[in-house]
Amino acid sequence: MHLSRFLCTIAVVGAASGAYAEGTVTIVGWGGTWNEAYKKGVTDPFSAASGIAVTLDEWDGSLAKVRAMAESGSISYDVVSVEAPQMDIGCDEGLFAKLPESVSALSEHYLPGTMHACGIASDTWATVLVYDGNKLADGPKSWADFWDLKKFPGKRGVLGTALYTLENALMADGVAPADVYTVLRTPEGVDRAFAKLDEIKSNVVWWNSSSTAIQNLDAGEVVMTDMYNGRVTYDNENNGKNYKIVWDAGFFYGTDMWALVANSPNPEAGKAFMEFFAVPENQAGFPKVYGYGTGDTRVFDLLTPEQRDRLPTAPSHIGFGAPYDATFWAENQEALEQRFKTWQSQ
Amino acid sequence: MQQGVPGVATAHRPVSKLRGHLPFMAMVAPLLLFVVLTVIVPVGMFLFRAIDNRDLQTNLAQTSESLATWSLADGLPPEPAFAALIGDLAIAQNAGRVGALAARLNQAVPGTRTFILKTARLAAEGAFPAGDVRKSVLAQVEGWDNPALWSVIAHENGRFTAFYLLTSLDLERRADGSIGQVSPQSALFLTILWRTIAISLSVTAICAILALPVAHVIVAAPPRVADILLAMVLLPLWTSLLVRTVAWIILLQGEGPVNSVLIWLGAVTEPLRLVYTRGSLMVTMVQVLLPLMILPILSVLRRIPPTYMRAARSLGAPWWTAWRRVQLPMILPGILTGSGIVFVFALGYYITPTLIGGPGDQMLSSFIVFYTDKTLNWGLAAALSVQLLAVLGLAAGLVSATRWLAAGRVA
Repeated sequence: MHLSRFLCTIAVVGAASGAYAEGTVTIVGWGGTWNEAYKKGVTDPFSAASGIAVTLDEWDGSLAKVRAMAESGSISYDVVSVEAPQMDIGCDEGLFAKLPESVSALSEHYLPGTMHACGIASDTWATVLVYDGNKLADGPKSWADFWDLKKFPGKRGVLGTALYTLENALMADGVAPADVYTVLRTPEGVDRAFAKLDEIKSNVVWWNSSSTAIQNLDAGEVVMTDMYNGRVTYDNENNGKNYKIVWDAGFFYGTDMWALVANSPNPEAGKAFMEFFAVPENQAGFPKVYGYGTGDTRVFDLLTPEQRDRLPTAPSHIGFGAPYDATFWAENQEALEQRFKTWQSQ
Repeated sequence: MQQGVPGVATAHRPVSKLRGHLPFMAMVAPLLLFVVLTVIVPVGMFLFRAIDNRDLQTNLAQTSESLATWSLADGLPPEPAFAALIGDLAIAQNAGRVGALAARLNQAVPGTRTFILKTARLAAEGAFPAGDVRKSVLAQVEGWDNPALWSVIAHENGRFTAFYLLTSLDLERRADGSIGQVSPQSALFLTILWRTIAISLSVTAICAILALPVAHVIVAAPPRVADILLAMVLLPLWTSLLVRTVAWIILLQGEGPVNSVLIWLGAVTEPLRLVYTRGSLMVTMVQVLLPLMILPILSVLRRIPPTYMRAARSLGAPWWTAWRRVQLPMILPGILTGSGIVFVFALGYYITPTLIGGPGDQMLSSFIVFYTDKTLNWGLAAALSVQLLAVLGLAAGLVSATRWLAAGRVA
């Protein structure tokens, strides 16, 4: 009796671990070079270590897909990388599962804004002030310079959303990055940001995709622009450009988060991936091959000085920056984007 | 939306005729079923969200009941309302529905989401002692002293809500229950709606004007030349939308070929700002949609014997009069069909405006995508879709009416 129960237990455990080793997991990233870097740096090593086959899919971060899957009951994603404000919304709505305790216990090692109740940063990036070093010998030093049309005549490239742009406007108006959201949480603060934007409105070339923005800078259509740091580094390293990032002008860094989709088809394999990625040596696989950072501060010790220096979260840069406030944007994105679009049309 | 187009062409076919054709009905039944199941039902379910108030009605039933006699003039609600609220929030928290509830309230009163979630968490933990709920809520959570929030809970208590439809029309329900216009700072959607209609109408008109001579040339040309011309018309249809749009960006940008030629000719000294404007958007849309106008006109024009024009001319009518009085009425069905197709396609454009338009050229679909994908506000996305559908219905009605009138006049 005892023996048979024992054997039975062994059989069950064996079956379970067998399924585990041969399991599959669908991980969804942002596609393109991002996915390539993740495959090389993280998911291939994960498959090799765990025996779990990874299907690395891509998407545009549209939370609507996850909600539609949840409502129809046919979920095909296990782990997705999602923008921080959408992480906030999805986590509260129960679309994402809570982080395994083994991972959330590591919170002391994580940079502010890079660990969430439902996930950890898959990448950290920043929107930075950029100019072309070949065209401007003595470039802008601050966001106030970005706004200074006398000192630097010409058009400016600005991302066409309230998100990221209102922050830059307040920095140009003399608000320190750390205080920006305190100001922005008051109606007067929002008015102040829009008033500041009025000053350069007629000299702005709005952009929606980073390719357009970088092309505008390259063609001299704009003298400076805001831009994602990874894109700048990529062009400097691969296309021989001499774009300068003005880190000390101040910047905000954002995070995309790995989230476990609730009721996903392979929850155990998804959890295994999260636990694998939470190990600093494994997490370092991504910033080693790409200009985006991650959340765990211990990762920096595993990178070369060059690899470290291109990250917004590098010790030499992070003092000038502050994290995007995902909670603020989850609450105010609709109202502020609506006002921003109205203001743009006027 | 594409399904609406053939409907435009057949809208006035008498129903009684179909009744005698059972085999015909049997033949279309599978298609009909397919359309109902894959288009009408899901689209209907999505559009229903424009008036759906389930999140508030089911989650805050007790609270809104306790507010039945409350009005804004009374100031903050009394203890029973707070007690009911905490009871409702605790239930919602434990049922995992509080995220949707907080999102819904945040849509009505921005900036409330976080403290509602916090209150619900505390409520489920029993942090508010019975009998003194009002005081302890106000002491522990900042935000519940906002009468506007209580007003929403008191007024929005039915199965259905007008909130999304009002928002999509730049209207709002004020804290005192009356309906008024939103502040000019955020009055956006009517501007976008008119802009969408204006762009679609202009594109349709330009396509019609450009398509007529092309169709005439193709019909009059020798067969071999006509084939080549037709292929040139069709070529853009077989090219990816994205490729065609990006090609225009490259052509029109500051250092692009168009500007280079203009400068070389001495027509301008500085590069013109051609891309990211309404002009560049219209050029691109016309180029993409033009074949959809040419083809229906062509198919009608081919069936008109050239003798009609010759007869009119030989009776002394100048070419213009002959064309206008003899040929145009016969081409009209083609123009109407083409206009219907082009207008409907133009209405739904969003990739092209995003890529090649300026901030003042974004169309309704961009906003539907924003609310669907980014903020999960499917109620507002549905309300904006209702607007598009209404414009579509209006256009279909207009085309049918014109066709009917024209047919009457010709007969």
